[in-house]
Amino acid sequence: MSAPAGTVRPAQATAAPRRRPRSVLWHAGALAVLVVVLYPVIWVIGASLKPGDEIVGSLQLLPTDPITDNYERLADGIAGIGIETFFVNSLIVALGSVIGVLFSCSLAAYAFARVRFAGRNLLFTLMIGTLLLPVHVLLVPQYVLFQKMELVNTYVPLLLGKFLAVDAFFVFLMVQFMRNLPKELDEAARIDGCGHWRIYWTIVLPLCRPALITSSIFSFIWAWNDFLGPLIYLNEPEKYTVSLGLKMFMDQDSLADYGGMVAMSMAALLPVLLFFLAFQRHLVEGAATSGLKG
Amino acid sequence: MSSRLSRTTGLRALGAGLVALGLLASGCGGGGDSGDGKVTIRYSWWGAQDRADLINKTIELFEKEHPNIEVKTDFQEYGDFWTKFNTQAAGGNPPDVFQNSHAFLRKYGQKNLLLDLNAQVKAGNLDLSDFRQGLEKAGEVDGKLLGVPVGANTFTVVYDVEAFKKVGVTPEPGWTWEDFDKAVEKISGSKKDFWGASDNGGVMYLYDLYLRQQGKAFFTEKGLGFTEADLRKWWGDHREKSKEGLLVPAKQSEQVKPKSSVSAELSAAEFTWDNFLVRYTSETDKELALAPIPTMDGKKTGQYLSSLMLSASARTKHPEEVATFIDFMVNDPEVGKIMGYNRGVLPTNAQFEAYKPEGPDAMIAEYENSVTEYLEPITPHPAGTDTVEAAFLSIYGSVAQGTTSVDDGVAQFFGEAKTALGS
Repeated sequence: MSAPAGTVRPAQATAAPRRRPRSVLWHAGALAVLVVVLYPVIWVIGASLKPGDEIVGSLQLLPTDPITDNYERLADGIAGIGIETFFVNSLIVALGSVIGVLFSCSLAAYAFARVRFAGRNLLFTLMIGTLLLPVHVLLVPQYVLFQKMELVNTYVPLLLGKFLAVDAFFVFLMVQFMRNLPKELDEAARIDGCGHWRIYWTIVLPLCRPALITSSIFSFIWAWNDFLGPLIYLNEPEKYTVSLGLKMFMDQDSLADYGGMVAMSMAALLPVLLFFLAFQRHLVEGAATSGLKG
Repeated sequence: MSSRLSRTTGLRALGAGLVALGLLASGCGGGGDSGDGKVTIRYSWWGAQDRADLINKTIELFEKEHPNIEVKTDFQEYGDFWTKFNTQAAGGNPPDVFQNSHAFLRKYGQKNLLLDLNAQVKAGNLDLSDFRQGLEKAGEVDGKLLGVPVGANTFTVVYDVEAFKKVGVTPEPGWTWEDFDKAVEKISGSKKDFWGASDNGGVMYLYDLYLRQQGKAFFTEKGLGFTEADLRKWWGDHREKSKEGLLVPAKQSEQVKPKSSVSAELSAAEFTWDNFLVRYTSETDKELALAPIPTMDGKKTGQYLSSLMLSASARTKHPEEVATFIDFMVNDPEVGKIMGYNRGVLPTNAQFEAYKPEGPDAMIAEYENSVTEYLEPITPHPAGTDTVEAAFLSIYGSVAQGTTSVDDGVAQFFGEAKTALGS
């Protein structure tokens, strides 16, 4: 927020009188949009502090008499399992995914962007083609495969693909980024005697930081929020991730614990938010520096 | 040369990555049967944490009495449960024993996914002698025993006691649709925020009862048991009443979801399964009660007992242990005391007598007792019942929203039902 303000100030100084009304309008408009965007978040925060029977049906956004019961109940766990279990499990899956994606996708991207080999364009097209495959087509064959390998009910099915550069989107993102890096850099390195591995590790990878950070943020959030994968592959509540834990609060013919669910939703939001906040600065920085190179 | 060199280093790095992943796998792997003669069976059901707490207690009890059997449990919400079950069944890895209901018996029976438990009954591992009201036959399809009931329910009208008292109508056995309509009309009156009844035109089980009262049924052995004209009248009547302001409008009832219109205090009556009363009473302070379905002739309600069941997978490696487990879950009185009516009124006499119901559970028990004499046998639910039920609900939903006309909706439903039932 502070960076844009710094760039705007000199401009305002020269044309302040004419620009002020417009800027006020602009800010008011932006604030209005912000309210719309943030409304659900505020609703969740408000609801998590209401007693269960007021959450659904009551139109008031904020609780008249805030309570912390919902959070206190979370501390007792869900169905006999401490909620920290779900968070640890989700972290294993999410951080594992980030590591896998960073490593394997950048390697694949390097090959596509920098190594000339027979059939490169065909393979690249095929890889992009996998983006078009619906998840549901792969679901059963993949399940059969992991079932035969006796890897069901472990985290391997959720992570193996990430270590094998299956996420075509990230490979594509990194390839596009690497293609924009000046070729002269690797040529200079090659003259100095570097092999592909060294060029990849010491020249290309550090320069790709913005792309790597973007990929980390997305792969973390996607893995954290993934529901179908953990649902299919994990068979014991002790191994469940947060997204599965969230669904333990209600069913059509059970007493629904809306309070617990909303409080858990808030708790589930936090790690993603923190991860984003921690890396968001790098994201902006990266975009800014890569723009300068032109 | 440099490229060959880099390829080997690259492969080595990849190998290191895989080893790391392998370590992770061994760290969190496990499961399956251990070497000490202990048998592990997997048990899945749908439900939320309240059911999980109860089931976990019953399993503790079971494992104490059968130390050689370990039960690993897994549960999801209804929709997710079937997503997972279908994938696992297609992948050849369904749970050994799982919660099931009448609507799915034929579907999975035809695919040979369900174990015929008759052999286990003969072998003495599963005792069916103590079931109430012929329930031991509830899971039988074409001579095969594909499921064993863990609880039984029947359809009902959940109604707002005060609203009905005000207009002087008492919902009681033998009341007619005329009585019902009159009450609904009076309750709705000119009010803008409270209606006489929820719009249940899309509830397959209610229409089934309505048809059964006329000697028909929703399903025959293979297909639908009614004509397009029948359905046009049923849906048309509901639309008519809704336009007259007698039923809760779709817009309002959608807004209060996942609450029902009755517990959201929009409606005075709603047709549903009697065990839903437990949830409804927890969501409202109003006094709710149960009544049988209105009749045409003052006698025939068309009602039957339906049940949640336990089914065993045909692929299970431990049919004996699974049968022992099911036997314990339906016959042990302690299990009855723990579960209460969470999955419906307890199925066997031993469990029924062991549990002393209170609150809404007591009302459900009383209601089921009061309708016992009217109950009839259940009509078959062919494979595809679940799809048909979902289509019936969603198509009526768009009819009620006004996006589809009654005629188009009926035609669409018959098309989808034909595909689902393969007829």
